[in-house]
Amino acid sequence: MEIKEKLKQVLIEDLNLEDVTPDEIGNDEPLFGEGLGLDSLDAVELVVVVQKHFGVEIKDMDEGRPALQSINTLAAFIEEKSNG
Amino acid sequence: MSRRSDHKSGWSSRSIGSNWQHQFFYLAIKIGGRRAAYFVLYFVVAYYALFSRLARERAGHYVSRRFPEARGLKRLWHGYRMILNFGMVLIDRAVVGILGPDSFEVSLAGREQLLKIRDENRGMILMTAHVGCWQVAMSVLEFLERPVYMLMRQEDGDIDRHYFEHAGIECPYRVIDPTGYLGGTLEMLGVLKQGQVVSVMGDRLLGSDKSSCPVDFLGATATVPFSAYKIASASGAPIVIFFTRKSGPNSYEVEIARVIRVPELPGRESSTFTPYAQEFAEALEEVSRKHPYQFYNFHDMWAVEPPSIKQEGQE
Repeated sequence: MEIKEKLKQVLIEDLNLEDVTPDEIGNDEPLFGEGLGLDSLDAVELVVVVQKHFGVEIKDMDEGRPALQSINTLAAFIEEKSNG
Repeated sequence: MSRRSDHKSGWSSRSIGSNWQHQFFYLAIKIGGRRAAYFVLYFVVAYYALFSRLARERAGHYVSRRFPEARGLKRLWHGYRMILNFGMVLIDRAVVGILGPDSFEVSLAGREQLLKIRDENRGMILMTAHVGCWQVAMSVLEFLERPVYMLMRQEDGDIDRHYFEHAGIECPYRVIDPTGYLGGTLEMLGVLKQGQVVSVMGDRLLGSDKSSCPVDFLGATATVPFSAYKIASASGAPIVIFFTRKSGPNSYEVEIARVIRVPELPGRESSTFTPYAQEFAEALEEVSRKHPYQFYNFHDMWAVEPPSIKQEGQE
């Protein structure tokens, strides 16, 4: 499964996003605030989820802030870290 | 598609005193030291306790829970003592800054325990409350040889100054702003992953009350934040609950009350973390029973309706 699709799937399952399907999550849609509507505690869970499912660690704010903007940015971060 | 509503906390860090009143106390400290400032304080607090409805209301939230049987003059007396003790702490804080750290003796019980936790290299969450003077604890943590980050907000226009601001020295701890990006959670997580120390207030909601859970506290349901327990669960960092208290005219004690270890727990429902928040509430209740006038709670932590699990999943 492509990283973006898997990301959407684990987001829905692990963050308990109710009434949301993978197709409804846009690749460029902001994850936090007005977009998907995730909040600060979801961010903590997201860091855990990314490590658990993709084996990639988001170490700090410098890495986390640009990576956690959207599905596209997070997928690119995971891909880069996995290949690096 | 936004899932959760955002309710802002009504609490404010701003002092109810005016700037000239603060300056007057600073002048009293410079001229006559701590005792001179205390002398003035007795009258100022008496004025506020008798004539300021706002001061009585703010003190009343805690006083009515801690002393439910007190009415009339007795209740006024409890409120007076609480505000007086709080005023003394503010003066002490200014004294340290103006006259130097040697003005007070600070003892720390549990130093070895803290060093052992530090050596686990999982980071450490120091959780305290508005008990005694938390800045005193910050001033004795140098032995940890780790940067300490404090999750705190100082509002624009807050004229109350910290001791390092009086002294014109560098802040001994680094600040994480809870109103910053994602409430500072990512920053806290990053700091803990590096084995460093984050200090948080366990009794105060900052910014939003949607990350809160209900606990039994002083005979009723109060609302406290649970974000720190989620972060502890994600990072593996132990939570060290500590309180400071004024133990004499020029001395303070810092004591470790509990060490809470939150296992890796999935999800973010408040009910998952309520047992850990309850442990904190029990520790806080113990200290407020022992030292009733040293818990400086001036907001109604019993009033906010905590969001239910169902509500969190809605919207």
